[in-house]
Amino acid sequence: MADDKIESVKSLFTAKSAKVETNKGEKYYENLYAQCRERLDNLKKIVPVSNNIKIKEAIEEEGVSRRDFLKWASATTAMLMLPASFTPLVAEAATLMNRVPVVWIELQDCAGNSEALLRSDGPTVDEIILDIISLEFHETLMAAAGHQAEKQLEDAVETFKGKYLLFVEGSVPMGLNGQYGTLGAKGETFIDHLHRVAKDAAAIVAVGSCATFGGIPAAAPNPTDAKGVMDVVNGKTIVNIPACPANPSNMVGVILHYVLTGQLPELDSLLRPKFAFGYRIHDNCERRAHFDAGEYVEEWGDEGAKNNFCLYKMGCKGPMTFNNCSIVRYNEGVNWPVGVGRGCIGCSEPDFWDKYAYERPMANANIKAPTGGVEKTVDQFGLGLLTAAGIGIGIHAAASAVAGKKDKGEA
Amino acid sequence: MIIKKLIEKVEGEANLNFEFKDGKISSVDIIFNIYRGIEEILKGKAPRDALVITPRVCGICNHAHLIATVRALEDGLKNSGLEFTLTQKAKDIREFTLICELIQNHIKWLYLTIYPYLEKLLKIERSDSYALKASYVANTVTKAMAIFAGQWPHSSYAVVGGVTCDPTYLDTIQALSYIEDAIRFYEKVVVGINLDDYLSIESISNLDKLGGDFAKILYLLGKNDFNKIGKSFDRFIAFSDSKISKKAKSIITTVSAVEFKFVKEYEQNGSYAKGVKYKNRYFEVGPLARAMINKEPIIKSLHKKYKDATITRVYARIHEVALLLKQAKEILQNLDVTQESCILDSKIDINNISGIGAVEAARGSLIHKIEVENSFIKSYDIITPTQWNLSNNAVAAKAMFGLDSEEIASFVFRTFDVCSVCTTH
Repeated sequence: MADDKIESVKSLFTAKSAKVETNKGEKYYENLYAQCRERLDNLKKIVPVSNNIKIKEAIEEEGVSRRDFLKWASATTAMLMLPASFTPLVAEAATLMNRVPVVWIELQDCAGNSEALLRSDGPTVDEIILDIISLEFHETLMAAAGHQAEKQLEDAVETFKGKYLLFVEGSVPMGLNGQYGTLGAKGETFIDHLHRVAKDAAAIVAVGSCATFGGIPAAAPNPTDAKGVMDVVNGKTIVNIPACPANPSNMVGVILHYVLTGQLPELDSLLRPKFAFGYRIHDNCERRAHFDAGEYVEEWGDEGAKNNFCLYKMGCKGPMTFNNCSIVRYNEGVNWPVGVGRGCIGCSEPDFWDKYAYERPMANANIKAPTGGVEKTVDQFGLGLLTAAGIGIGIHAAASAVAGKKDKGEA
Repeated sequence: MIIKKLIEKVEGEANLNFEFKDGKISSVDIIFNIYRGIEEILKGKAPRDALVITPRVCGICNHAHLIATVRALEDGLKNSGLEFTLTQKAKDIREFTLICELIQNHIKWLYLTIYPYLEKLLKIERSDSYALKASYVANTVTKAMAIFAGQWPHSSYAVVGGVTCDPTYLDTIQALSYIEDAIRFYEKVVVGINLDDYLSIESISNLDKLGGDFAKILYLLGKNDFNKIGKSFDRFIAFSDSKISKKAKSIITTVSAVEFKFVKEYEQNGSYAKGVKYKNRYFEVGPLARAMINKEPIIKSLHKKYKDATITRVYARIHEVALLLKQAKEILQNLDVTQESCILDSKIDINNISGIGAVEAARGSLIHKIEVENSFIKSYDIITPTQWNLSNNAVAAKAMFGLDSEEIASFVFRTFDVCSVCTTH
């Protein structure tokens, strides 16, 4: 192996993988704690947006113990990268979620994120979703339909002017003057619809890869000129929760953070919350030890697959994908793609549909080499640099295979 | 007189334009106003990329799209001369996960669509939190599915030649416990009697054994003439052999074989959805079609008395959940985890192939056709179940003809379990 390549592997694997500040010092957290306390006390005074069910009663009715609830709260506290001392506050915030109105609109989508949200996890999470978070308007969930639903949306926007969190699912088709996606009896384009509802939102949360980066509809040749929300709406605070589908824990996490602190979580340069997207899948992957040991699945269903070896050579994009799937997992933590030996497809990265798709290890992919440098921080670790990691890892993977063969030969 | 009505909560929305003549609906235009161009996107991509892209057509039946793609690719390889047979394990796991997707869909349709809309239509005070019931079953069943598929929605664990997962016996036990939870729910809440007793009901004269929400719904449907209205062509079709159906058609209760070559899609004015016909005729797809083709005794009994009226259609979908739960359990109990997961090399080139994959999805037959030339996709055609049922003047439209209220018609429309995002893709 050429010296420079060896150097590049070395620097890759000795560099700290991501620099998310998880400890901001005692002073900072003391202030934050006081600020959250005040925020929650103020929220308590507000009349709930929809008071169908109170979370405490709901928990008892559903047979979820206080213990389970606190377990969830402590896991969520950790997910939000807050010290354990915040757990009681997070639990309290969960009970106050119905003070923050949430409006949810679907644009050019497959409804997959709504579906994912429906099976969010946690204690009585059904309640969190359906009642505690006040989904003032969600086309898939609400009882009203048709013209009535349109009216309900208008009412929600008017009543909660400047206060609601707007969740957007789906991309915005800009082509043909927006005629690829229209809605309502008047045939309003998705573009106009988004602008209208976004205008008075406290902040916008784009969920899923379509709403964040354009997603599958934006795949080449992007027939409808689909764009993510941040490329369409200006002058608004936007949070991106990419992935296809976005992990419901991260959706709930963003809302919870907002309820708790009155602010949106810290974001990276792609507007993703650092608590969820600060690390790569690879950093916390359950199969990471096999990567480090150079043990790979070489073929679907081989011995390596049976032993849960690393899937990098089968095209896993975990090393280039920022997301917390390896920690939070899916479907109430039951499993995730790597768990079934499939490898990550990089579905939360911009352009994954064209660049990362299926079974091609990054090292073999015909993607332009980056303009130098190793990863530094999450912010600087853009798509171009991701490829650097890919190539570096490719070298490592190849080297390991050679090493492995050599060992066998000697034995 | 033309009345325009907007139908929401159909995984997207649809516009229905009703034309009334002498107070009765004489024509219905069904219009879908969203387009993504997924077939265009697939063109020029590497064939295996389709496995990642097509599930994104629909967040509700994404798994059916995955299986349709993998079947189309495998069919193409076979057509090009490659001989192989998947292991029973791989087939069973794919079948199991598909079954799970159907179950969660049907239960959500029951509690998020049909039950609430029926009560709304009949101006009955809403008694229960339906959404909680829906999400309980959906959560439970998708967890069982995630054990094999990794996640739901949008999993990609099925690959050409098999599946990537390699479950242990313990995994199957865990999945079984979820399925048993779902069975308990079905017994206690949906039908009010145990599953075997329910499945032994073969004639409408024994329907008095039923309890639970299903009995309430049937009572409301029967009392409000839904055993008379909603009749359509009484022609049914399915394109995939599965545990609950076979590739065949049923016309006036006569079941006969079908071939893909007679399936023709066509453009429709003013809508992004294409229409589809078989031998130039409209056919209904979905649980009722499957039950008619499979000659399910209770459905035949209902059909004998009420034909393909709304009550028969609703019954077939809720009934199918029972069949699926039983199948899911049986598959898990008999799964041989020692077999190979995947029998084809992942590096096999897919150069020049042409294949078709069909799946019985929740809403009916889903067909994918792929053509690969020089290692890239030349054309990809997706025909979704909703296209069959909702072509203009097709099955759903005919079921609404002659009704005197657009409210009732909209309800009849919803009994087809409409999916807008799938339809236009």
